[in-house]
Amino acid sequence: MATLTPVLQEEAIAELISERVSNVPLLPHVVTRLLGIMGRNDHSLTDVVKIVENDLGLASRILRVANSAAFSPRQGISSLQQGILHLGEKMVAGIAIGSCTANIFNRELIGYESSSGELWDHCLRTAIAAREITASCSRRVSTDLAFTGGLLHDVGKAIIDEFLNKRTQILTAMCDKGEGGDFLDAERDSIGIDHADVGFALARHWNLPPQLAAVIKFHHRPVEADPAQQELVYLVHLGDILAMLGGTGTGADTLSYKIDEGYQRYFQLGKDGLPILLLKIEEEFTRAKSAVFAE
Amino acid sequence: MGIIYVGVGELAASRSPGDVVKILALGSCVGVIMLAPQQKIVGLLHVALPDSSINAKRGIEKPGTFADTGIPQLLNELKKMGHLRGKLTVKLAGGASIMDPNNTFNIGKRNILAIKKILWKFGLGAIAEDLGGNYCRTLSVDVDSGLVTISSPGRGTWPL
Repeated sequence: MATLTPVLQEEAIAELISERVSNVPLLPHVVTRLLGIMGRNDHSLTDVVKIVENDLGLASRILRVANSAAFSPRQGISSLQQGILHLGEKMVAGIAIGSCTANIFNRELIGYESSSGELWDHCLRTAIAAREITASCSRRVSTDLAFTGGLLHDVGKAIIDEFLNKRTQILTAMCDKGEGGDFLDAERDSIGIDHADVGFALARHWNLPPQLAAVIKFHHRPVEADPAQQELVYLVHLGDILAMLGGTGTGADTLSYKIDEGYQRYFQLGKDGLPILLLKIEEEFTRAKSAVFAE
Repeated sequence: MGIIYVGVGELAASRSPGDVVKILALGSCVGVIMLAPQQKIVGLLHVALPDSSINAKRGIEKPGTFADTGIPQLLNELKKMGHLRGKLTVKLAGGASIMDPNNTFNIGKRNILAIKKILWKFGLGAIAEDLGGNYCRTLSVDVDSGLVTISSPGRGTWPL
């Protein structure tokens, strides 16, 4: 009997998580279209402008950010095309995702002992880190995709969190035992599912492009991703780690993960380059945070 | 009287009774705590990287970013605050890392080594430290008592 109880609990949790995922509002059409074209290499700036101009709220937000002190335009920016060009498509995706998912990304994560806003900060810093690594090391992946993947990679935490509540100290103790298991293993051992799998369910619910769904599912286990998507997944995997090293994590699980050295098959990140990269990420993160989310 | 938050690359010193000097969520960064018990002065430095040679401009603009520029700057601040003689007590916390068997991303360890080397140059050494591991730390120093406290989500709170 004692062995059956946890199984039943896990089944009940899986069912409840599935229900929670299906109750999450769908992404606005403008966001799915933006994410869809950013996943393709053949899109142009005009394509992005056409999508954004149909959403008055998003368009005005982009202009507001483009004219903010942190992005210091030489002269006032009044057209959407100029605004998108000035900010870059990555930031446009960030503004679009941030504005329609604030209720998800700004949740307090009780199960991770993480305050409101920390999940978004961590995702934004991961996005910036993944973009910077891509810009300096990878020629095959677009920086837009790496940025967007970084923004979305941990979305599953917002759903799984309620089921980790009151288990936090057990999870950290499992990681700190030094037996090689990380926080993802601890989540799975404790409730039968982990935040990467929950995020993947949400990615399917939102009908995200397959590359972004792969990032969400495999960002802690990039070697398990489809080889066609592995380089992107490794970029976000490293971005996630650099964000945590910088102290921008989501509470109890911060730094309790393993590095997968398989990234070396795709790109090199020299020891000497690491401090320079960390400094650049710190500066860009501070700038983006103050501009986009100061309101 | 209040809480003084010390961000990445910043440093602060206080001798105001009731102040608490604090660093939120140290990852691979290291918090260097200097206490002058005779004058009841507390100094705190939030070091992000070992060596300013990678960006000398930043080392001048925000010396606390690097171990080699931050520690002399913190000692200057303590002097300005009135620490002219007497022993300084040094404590260190942070310098965490990811689970990385090959130590490629060991920036925390590199920070710790650089800080210890520079402290040694000034004839200083830490009497207490809480370093390394695979978790983040929040650090608080109470100016009245000089008590240093560390907390980490899911791991509780403990004195240093």
